[in-house]
Amino acid sequence: MARMGMVFDLKTCIGCNACVVACKQENSLPDGVFFTKTLSEEYGVFPLANRVYIPTICNHCDDAPCEKVCPSGATYTRHDGIVMVDDAKCIGCSSCAVACPYDQRTTMDADNFLKGLFGTGEITPFEKEGYARYTPGTVTKCDFCSQRVDANLDPACVVTCPTNARIFGDLDDPHSAPSKMIRERNGRPPMPEKNTRPKVYYVN
Amino acid sequence: MAIADRVFSGDTLRVGYRFQRHWDNSMAYAFYCCEVGAGLFFVSLLLDNLAGMVLGLLLVSTGKPYFHLTHMGVPMKSWRAMLRPDRSWISRGLLGLMGMVGFGVLALLVMVFGEGNSPTELWGLKLLAGGCALVCATYQGFAMSHSSAIAIWNSAIMPLSSLLYALSSGLALAMLLLPADTAAGLAPILLLLLLGLALVQLMFLHAGWHGGPGARTSIELLLQTFYARWYLGVTVTAGIALPALLTWAAPTSILAQLLSGIGVLAGFFAWRLLIFKIGVYEPIMTMNPFAPGR
Amino acid sequence: MTTAPPTANSLKSGRWIASTCKMCLHSCGNLIHVTDTGVINKIEGNPSNPSNNGKLCPKGNAAIMRHYDPNRFKQPMRRTNPEKGVGIDPMWEPISWEEALEYTAAQIKKSLDEDPRKILPSLEDFQKFNIWAWPLSFGNFNFYQSGGTMCGGAYHPVNGFIHSAFACANDAKHCNYWINNGTGDGFSSHLHAAAQANWVAKARTERGMRVVAVEPRLSIAAAKAEEWVPIRPATDRHFAMGMSHVLVYEGLCDYRALKRDTNAPYLVGEDGYFIRDDNRQCYIWDKKNQCAKLWNDETIEEIALEGNYEFNGKPCRPAFQVYKDILADCSPEAMEKITTVPADTIRRIAREFARAAQIGATIKVEDGRTLPLRPAAYNYYRGAQGHKHGAQTNHSFKLVNMLIGNIDTPGGHMGVTLDPKEVDFNHCSMGESGMLKPTPHQLGPVPGFHYPPSTYHMMDYFPLGVHPPHFNLLMHENREKFGVEFTPDVIVNCHSNPVWAIHGSREKWFEFLRGMRFIVCVDIIPTEMTDFADVILPSHDVLESWNCTMIEPPHTEGQCFRQPATPPLHDTKSEEDIFYELSERLGILEAYNNVINLTLGFEGHPELMLELDKKYTDKEIARRKGLLWDGNDIEYYMEHGHSVTEKRLDKWYRPWEGCRLHFYIEDYLVERDKLKQQMEDANVPFRHEWEWDDYQPLPSSTLDPVHEEPPEYDLYAITFKDIQLNFGESLSNPWIKDIVYRDPVHTGLLLNPKTAAAQGLEKGSIVKVESPYGRLYGRISVSEGMHPETLGVSNALSRMKSKAAGVLPAGGHYNDMLPYDLKNTDAASAQPETVCKVKLTRLDDWPDFLKQGRTVYDLVEDYETAKGKGGHH
Ligand SMILES: Nc1nc2c(c(=O)[nH]1)N[C@H]1C(S)=C(S)[C@@H](COP(=O)(O)OP(=O)(O)OC[C@H]3O[C@@H](n4cnc5c(=O)[nH]c(N)nc54)[C@H](O)[C@@H]3O)O[C@H]1N2
Ligand SMILES: Nc1nc2c(c(=O)[nH]1)N[C@H]1C(S)=C(S)[C@@H](COP(=O)(O)OP(=O)(O)OC[C@H]3O[C@@H](n4cnc5c(=O)[nH]c(N)nc54)[C@H](O)[C@@H]3O)O[C@H]1N2
Ligand code: SF4
Ligand code: SF4
Ligand code: SF4
Ligand code: SF4
Ligand code: SF4
Ligand SMILES: [Mo]
Repeated sequence: MARMGMVFDLKTCIGCNACVVACKQENSLPDGVFFTKTLSEEYGVFPLANRVYIPTICNHCDDAPCEKVCPSGATYTRHDGIVMVDDAKCIGCSSCAVACPYDQRTTMDADNFLKGLFGTGEITPFEKEGYARYTPGTVTKCDFCSQRVDANLDPACVVTCPTNARIFGDLDDPHSAPSKMIRERNGRPPMPEKNTRPKVYYVN
Repeated sequence: MAIADRVFSGDTLRVGYRFQRHWDNSMAYAFYCCEVGAGLFFVSLLLDNLAGMVLGLLLVSTGKPYFHLTHMGVPMKSWRAMLRPDRSWISRGLLGLMGMVGFGVLALLVMVFGEGNSPTELWGLKLLAGGCALVCATYQGFAMSHSSAIAIWNSAIMPLSSLLYALSSGLALAMLLLPADTAAGLAPILLLLLLGLALVQLMFLHAGWHGGPGARTSIELLLQTFYARWYLGVTVTAGIALPALLTWAAPTSILAQLLSGIGVLAGFFAWRLLIFKIGVYEPIMTMNPFAPGR
Repeated sequence: MTTAPPTANSLKSGRWIASTCKMCLHSCGNLIHVTDTGVINKIEGNPSNPSNNGKLCPKGNAAIMRHYDPNRFKQPMRRTNPEKGVGIDPMWEPISWEEALEYTAAQIKKSLDEDPRKILPSLEDFQKFNIWAWPLSFGNFNFYQSGGTMCGGAYHPVNGFIHSAFACANDAKHCNYWINNGTGDGFSSHLHAAAQANWVAKARTERGMRVVAVEPRLSIAAAKAEEWVPIRPATDRHFAMGMSHVLVYEGLCDYRALKRDTNAPYLVGEDGYFIRDDNRQCYIWDKKNQCAKLWNDETIEEIALEGNYEFNGKPCRPAFQVYKDILADCSPEAMEKITTVPADTIRRIAREFARAAQIGATIKVEDGRTLPLRPAAYNYYRGAQGHKHGAQTNHSFKLVNMLIGNIDTPGGHMGVTLDPKEVDFNHCSMGESGMLKPTPHQLGPVPGFHYPPSTYHMMDYFPLGVHPPHFNLLMHENREKFGVEFTPDVIVNCHSNPVWAIHGSREKWFEFLRGMRFIVCVDIIPTEMTDFADVILPSHDVLESWNCTMIEPPHTEGQCFRQPATPPLHDTKSEEDIFYELSERLGILEAYNNVINLTLGFEGHPELMLELDKKYTDKEIARRKGLLWDGNDIEYYMEHGHSVTEKRLDKWYRPWEGCRLHFYIEDYLVERDKLKQQMEDANVPFRHEWEWDDYQPLPSSTLDPVHEEPPEYDLYAITFKDIQLNFGESLSNPWIKDIVYRDPVHTGLLLNPKTAAAQGLEKGSIVKVESPYGRLYGRISVSEGMHPETLGVSNALSRMKSKAAGVLPAGGHYNDMLPYDLKNTDAASAQPETVCKVKLTRLDDWPDFLKQGRTVYDLVEDYETAKGKGGHH
């Protein structure tokens, strides 16, 4: 069985957030809503200062606390390990959001859809068509572009990444690009102390 | 590290602490109603105090759902919240809540109208209702303690404090409903509960301070920022110290009972709000050997 | 099992159209998805295009939001409010195209008939040189477009001298040691940001290429670099010369390349000119035979690069020795005092650079040639080159490369043509005395000398430079002094935002614009510039129009094709239609077609030549450009979206084979003396003020005047773009805004925390920033990633437009603080200084004008405190 996962290459990521905009495009996300964010952090003291760019995303945890707390069964794990939210079942209690140590969940408030991307209440044709997929009030997150995965495509954020800092594939397959990368470059999951067993790894 | 050195990233693309904001004030009110109501009901059940039982049931069956539904994104589907008692404390709690209301109302009916009924039946109902009330009093604490996300919540202190707060505020409220001399008789128990609360607060601060960066940050927020006056002023002083002093010094004074009752309830209310507001997500690790400790 | 209908946009039922991005001036290949209902709902990179390999930067990903921007101009409009100013509503009145074109043409015609020089063109679409070149059809050399010298005033001419190309880049395919000096190339900006970032990332991961970034701030490049070398602004030339000192004095040069492939051995006389014979042929010293011989004398046995000699009784030195003598004063220790870069660091980097260059190594490339392999290269751009002594500065960077023999060599520093078709025009050819023929005028013909001036920006006096748009203001304020005899009264503006982009006081520019009788803007969205327009002629956007181009592609060649993904959303026209319609009404149609034939290279291809009396559509011109490139007709381009391949190696590596490169640029002296004479002859009154010292055949270590501003201006200010920004233009795009103002680099004036403390400032302090020339206001952000003497001002904090575009103003504009005078402009290249000295004053509160309405800082504060859902509560 497949276990889809992602590796982030911190050596190459330039913090451009092209991934973020690609995700906004693919998923018609309202203003201020992110399924992925590339964060930055400065460290060190001049002149030995530096900045690291850290892409973040839902880690599709094997031991997903968001799924465990979900009282409605809306959050579930697909056959290939992708953690999904069924918005037909979701009641918007946001228990999952306080359970996710990575703060990866967003409530799709109704006013998000009303003010529009330009903030004027004018809804563009792009939004009109795209917003139809959401049930206002439900909680949502990155689904690893599950439909693209079903169609044998890489996620939208992955294909656009100019520096190939996002590598996607089957972690159960030892020959897949992410598996190799994790092995060869000592990949580490985010916040392992949270015991969520993420399917996302970082290499440096 | 002091609070001033912590990076709070707000809604920016900076690595830093992010405030818990998914559970907002209405959730705090719901928790509060549920716990105070369950506590009051439980205490009243033990004391066979009908007024307290009714008020407790009302709080749990109206205040709690009202505020919870306000919070809920899709309230029409909220019935779905009880589908996963096998794994979710929210589902368990919801069932507990339904149990408490159901058995509680039955017990009440039996107590009021059921002259002829055998005491075993009533006892059975009371046991069930009381058990469910304890579930209501603690499940929110369990739900919080199960969140590894918000480090300050992620400890057994959460359900313990829920229980103690439910019982103490329930008792304090019940004492206001009872005749003063009966209430005075209960004073030692309240005192004991308040001492328990004081202990729990100390444990909470101690565990938080030594509980890793996320929990420490929450404690710093609680003690070193704008929240400190609410915590120290309302939760600690008005909510525990003062009532304990009054209850110890003047157990029979109606004014003291009134003041300490209000104090306990206010202190708990502040605590419920504060515990949501000081909850933070920890910054993602950078795997960066030079990164400053957090 | 039934599958639910897709909610993912790219999977919805529809079709993909292969086209080309233009969210910056470059041209990455993209695929546009249009749903069955005709909505554009996804844009991805086109993986078949080897330039960007299916990658898009954030701007390229955000094109949809520009397309559907409700603020777009939806029909032609005429102003009804006579009061003009940024943020002042022009009170547009919609008019028909016919009326708009008639009216506009009549307004332009008035000036055209009186004096064509009264027309000030501002045409900046790098993807459409057919529009850019329009003024040539009535012999107008005025220039008000925004790119000009803020960008590559000295860069392009020097690239024209050294590579006979427009731009330059390092060879990411082989380079192992990459110095990035004041540029985001490969990381955040410059050439095809999405494409270059991909190439550079691969070089770093696959080959372990080392990157050294020399920058006053911790840019993206510096953050990714193995080493960040913080440098005092406007001292990059001194860093390069310090490196060169080490290379030359430690014998770390590729002497074989210098002798064979450059004019470094040519003998230079005391006057700085080459020693020549009667046929203007240059000499080389033969060390073995102790005599000078003509450069092409086959009996030369040992070429001298160093030494002092005598020829015909006069002292002379090889050009290399001239530079060596200059470099004597440029030890790393001496340069440390100027650059603040420790001498040891300069020395170490020079040695590492030379070691990485593997001097002597060769490589067999796929076309069968065995070429030198020099996998070390020094790259630079706007931040490093944009200084007063721009020509010398660019030259100093080139020389670091030339010393190790890496020019246009595998792994080295490469020339990049503006359009790939130029490589087929034989962009490299033999000039004088065996030297590569220099092509300093990469952007087309220049007017030549006139007095009184024939242009409003004094291009008459820059025989080797790029048009300096900032001088329009200098001229305007000093008309008598400069002797100009006409006053522009009409601006024709297309795809350009000069009020934002150019140096100098905004207030003065606003006055300048208010003085115009008529301004027409061909644009798609409101900007600072369109607030001054009398008529708006709205054009199609990039998703609605045709084009065929490829701008400055570093590793690839070919043409990128743009085609409409949907019919125009509004009542707009293509730029081609607009300029043809205007040309016809102005009676210059034939001349315009002539200009296009020349500019686009149709000349000499009878089947492609435009017939002079016809008007052509954007589609037809695109079709012909495709045909010109590879003979493929429009169907091919419509299907594939491009004809891009990796560069032909003979055009990429050493396309000048057999010519000698300009180590020594004698032309600077030649042109200086010619200009001096012309000015003398014409008795030009300002000739004594002219900065004659700026013309140098080799770089000198003179300080730029910015370092000599009064001492109370105790900090340097710099500006920068980043990969999310197209200048500041993309900030009207909600997706871009959503990421830019959450990025700490773009949300405050960046200052080193120690500097801030020393100035009594802290994060969040509101400050007034003043240079000797202008001011802005802002809020301080502290960052250890700042050189302690430097204030960093992101372009994201520079917009002024506040009404229609949804763009938030910050606290003024960086460019206000820049000088636009002769003293701070390089006479040799027209490059003005782009950094300034500033002083900071702490304010208790924002000045009143920033309290009216929302600013960037309000938005940033919302994000930072994140009240309510999404943050704090
Ligand atoms: N993403 C993006 N790409 C673009 C463009 C764009 O707007 N956005 N514009 C295109 C155009 S027209 C151009 S001209 C190129 C320009 O491309 P770049 O040359 O990369 O442009 P900038 O970012 O303006 O400047 C580069 C760096 O110079 C630094 N700098 C400023 N002053 C100094 C200095 O005195 N010394 C040194 N060493 N560094 C200094 C800045 O901090 C900045 O990081 O990019 C092109 N590509
Ligand atoms: N402070 C500061 N100043 C700078 C720079 C900097 O980094 N900092 N960079 C300098 C450099 S390198 C340059 S090249 C210049 C660039 O200066 P400009 O070329 O003026 O740059 P933009 O702001 O991109 O302006 C482009 C204009 O084209 C319009 N436009 C966009 N798409 C279309 C279209 O499809 N059709 C038409 N007709 N119009 C369109 C936009 O609305 C905008 O008005 O700025 C220079 N000035
Ligand atoms: S697109 Fe790639 S390089 Fe850019 S921020 Fe995302 S992961 Fe990093
Ligand atoms: S990252 Fe958060 S939302 Fe995603 S699976 Fe893990 S716990 Fe759930
Ligand atoms: S918000 Fe939806 S997905 Fe999250 S726990 Fe509640 S029901 Fe489950
Ligand atoms: S995998 Fe898809 S949904 Fe998840 S962040 Fe990337 S683009 Fe967005
Ligand atoms: S670099 Fe320029 S052309 Fe390429 S994707 Fe980005 S905006 Fe488009
Ligand atoms: Mo530029």
